[in-house]
Amino acid sequence: MMMEEIKTTIIDRIKLHFSDAVEKEFSYNRLDFSVKKETVPSILFYLKEEMGFKHLSHISCVDWLEEGEFEMIFILWSPEEKIKVFIHTRVDRSNPVMDNIDMIWRQANTYEREMKEMYGIQFTGLEAPEEFLLEDWNGPPPMRRDFDTEAYAAKTYWERPGREDALDVRETVEKRTGEVLPEFAKKYKR
Amino acid sequence: MSFDLKGTLKPLTALKQFGQKPHTLTNVPFIPREAADRYRGLHYNNLDECIGCGNCSTICQNQAIDMIPVDGIEGKNGDSGLRPRVDHGRCCWCGLCVDVCPTGSLSLTKDYVYVSEDANSFLWTPGVDNPEGDERVSFFSTKETSLNDLGRIPMPELEGMERIKSFAEVVLGYNEEQARAEASRCISCGLCTEACPEHMHIPEYINAIAGGNDEDAVRIIYDNNPLPEMCGKVCTRRCEDICAIAHRGDPIAIRWLKRYATETVENADLLKEIINPEIKEPNGFKVGIIGAGPSGLTAAYYLALKGFDCTIYEANSKAGGMTMYGIPRYRFPEDSLDKQIEYIQKIGVRIHFNTKVGKDISFGEIYHNYDAVFMGVGFPKPWTLGIEGEELHGSIQAVNFLYEINNGKKVDIGNKVIVIGGGNVAIDAARVSARLGADVTILYRRRVQDMPADWEEIEGAEAEGIHIISQAIPIQFHGDEKGHITTVEYLKAEMVPDEHGGRPKPIAIEGSNTVIEVTAVLGAIGQQGDYSFLEEEFDEKVKIERGRIVVNEKQETTLNKLFAGGDSANRIADAISAIADGYRAVKGIEELLMKGK
Repeated sequence: MMMEEIKTTIIDRIKLHFSDAVEKEFSYNRLDFSVKKETVPSILFYLKEEMGFKHLSHISCVDWLEEGEFEMIFILWSPEEKIKVFIHTRVDRSNPVMDNIDMIWRQANTYEREMKEMYGIQFTGLEAPEEFLLEDWNGPPPMRRDFDTEAYAAKTYWERPGREDALDVRETVEKRTGEVLPEFAKKYKR
Repeated sequence: MSFDLKGTLKPLTALKQFGQKPHTLTNVPFIPREAADRYRGLHYNNLDECIGCGNCSTICQNQAIDMIPVDGIEGKNGDSGLRPRVDHGRCCWCGLCVDVCPTGSLSLTKDYVYVSEDANSFLWTPGVDNPEGDERVSFFSTKETSLNDLGRIPMPELEGMERIKSFAEVVLGYNEEQARAEASRCISCGLCTEACPEHMHIPEYINAIAGGNDEDAVRIIYDNNPLPEMCGKVCTRRCEDICAIAHRGDPIAIRWLKRYATETVENADLLKEIINPEIKEPNGFKVGIIGAGPSGLTAAYYLALKGFDCTIYEANSKAGGMTMYGIPRYRFPEDSLDKQIEYIQKIGVRIHFNTKVGKDISFGEIYHNYDAVFMGVGFPKPWTLGIEGEELHGSIQAVNFLYEINNGKKVDIGNKVIVIGGGNVAIDAARVSARLGADVTILYRRRVQDMPADWEEIEGAEAEGIHIISQAIPIQFHGDEKGHITTVEYLKAEMVPDEHGGRPKPIAIEGSNTVIEVTAVLGAIGQQGDYSFLEEEFDEKVKIERGRIVVNEKQETTLNKLFAGGDSANRIADAISAIADGYRAVKGIEELLMKGK
């Protein structure tokens, strides 16, 4: 079967079973669906058990800060048809709760631990140790876009002695040329 | 639980290895494995390529990078003299510092083994402390991978052959969206402020534009330049020559951004409202200013803000000096300065137009009537070539030609014009001639790349169909019986390297005489001062060297209470250095008059 036919078949079957699925086609062997978050476990289960998408390649997350949402992306692979399907869903950023899916693929457990630590997403019923990669972490989830790395570093780590002699480039040049920067302009300095 | 005999005895079998040569530590001393091609290990910095812009230090989210002075590296124009020092104990090897380095001097190496009992020794300066690192570089940035925005937002312009149909302004100016995008390319290092003779607050006003705060940008610009609309159009923009981004891309369009900001203000009243300058109470001192060019206007504006009573005497009917009368209208439309001059008058500066010092009023009268005098009289007199036939009808000085045309007069140049020279005046004269319908050729004695004119002007001329004959030295003009010029005879030249290390010299090739037919020749090989207005008693006291008035660092001349600036006092001879002179003179005059107050 040609790739286009495979894609059409997948779209038809998915839309028949999951009325909220909205497809988006990409060139070659990629096909995307967006669904409500409640649909995620059943659509993943269906794709795995009924349509040959046996392999979970990846779970990823995007922080749509301005829209107040996280986007979760599940990437599946069908070894027979050589096609990948992306399942997208949106989660409320102020209450980021998702269903745990590690009973469908055991390896999802690892990805979910990563999402939990890096984005603060809670997976209902996830059984895993509290810490993943970050040791003794006490800050907010660091992959969130409103995480201020610089402020965190300044607060958390002590200043190594011997760094007090650092100079500001702009001020060094100012001093050399005799330029006097007016007070009201200073807020536009780098 | 029963006793596990096997589990207890089995580990003891390991004892049989005791005394054997170890397999795991054969590489003593330890030799690390070669890292991957794009490995991000310890830093290396090419100290000669680095310009100390500090962008690496700014981007570092772990605050691991300091900018520090390094022995043997002097700060100079385009180089802060500082170099990055990295706390390798804080570094997380993300490589952002490399990605944003505008010169590409900073890189990461394949070195990853760093062992020390003293954690503080992790603080060191790449390139200084690991000079051998250049052979181990693995993660570096190229133009393609750089996170700097290297391409300039193109300036909308009239198309080449469309331009010569009229004197319409060629450059159309950025719109808001284009200006914000262009301003956002700036990395705010501020190295450019050193190249600017007036040390304008460039990164700050560009940042204001990038952030959508045009009014703040205008305020910052007027802090030390009262003629930014002029500079926004015709500045020689030394700042752009040394822009950090120019090392691998197009420099930030600093000049066009200044133009954009100033053009957002519609009239002088609004300008005054936005700048809302603090004008001090009158202090009772009067300052007389000769010449309403860039230096005189600048001095008058800032003196007036400080409470001085300022009067300018200007020979022409409009202010602006050489920018108004020497620069063609397609670069600098006649109304370009109106808003600024009106604003300067609004804060209390008086300008007497059509008043030539030495004719309508004597220098002595001004000198005696004012507490201090500033002179910005420019270089009005053209140099002549000093060759036979220069007196022929149709042999014209380019500055006089531009003056007449800018005054709306007609000059008969016929249809075949030769311009002699390679500076901005020569290019201006050529492009004006093309607009008058002539076929124009520029004769220049050196190579095109040696021309002192702006490259944009040279390109502009070429786009408008102007021919350039380089390495050509005119030796004689020939005329007909009516005394009108008919041909120009020139010799071809070869470039000979200068033994003293200067730029190559053109040496005429004997016998290479070539003749071109012309209807007019425009000479543009430079100008000089004209100080004939100084009466004898002052003439002796004002020291003049090689045609320029001698001034000290406060622009003070050798005559008491007389200050000078602009082309007649500085060697750079452009508008922005004239503005810088005027600004410096303000401090000098204030010091002189307000002493003890």
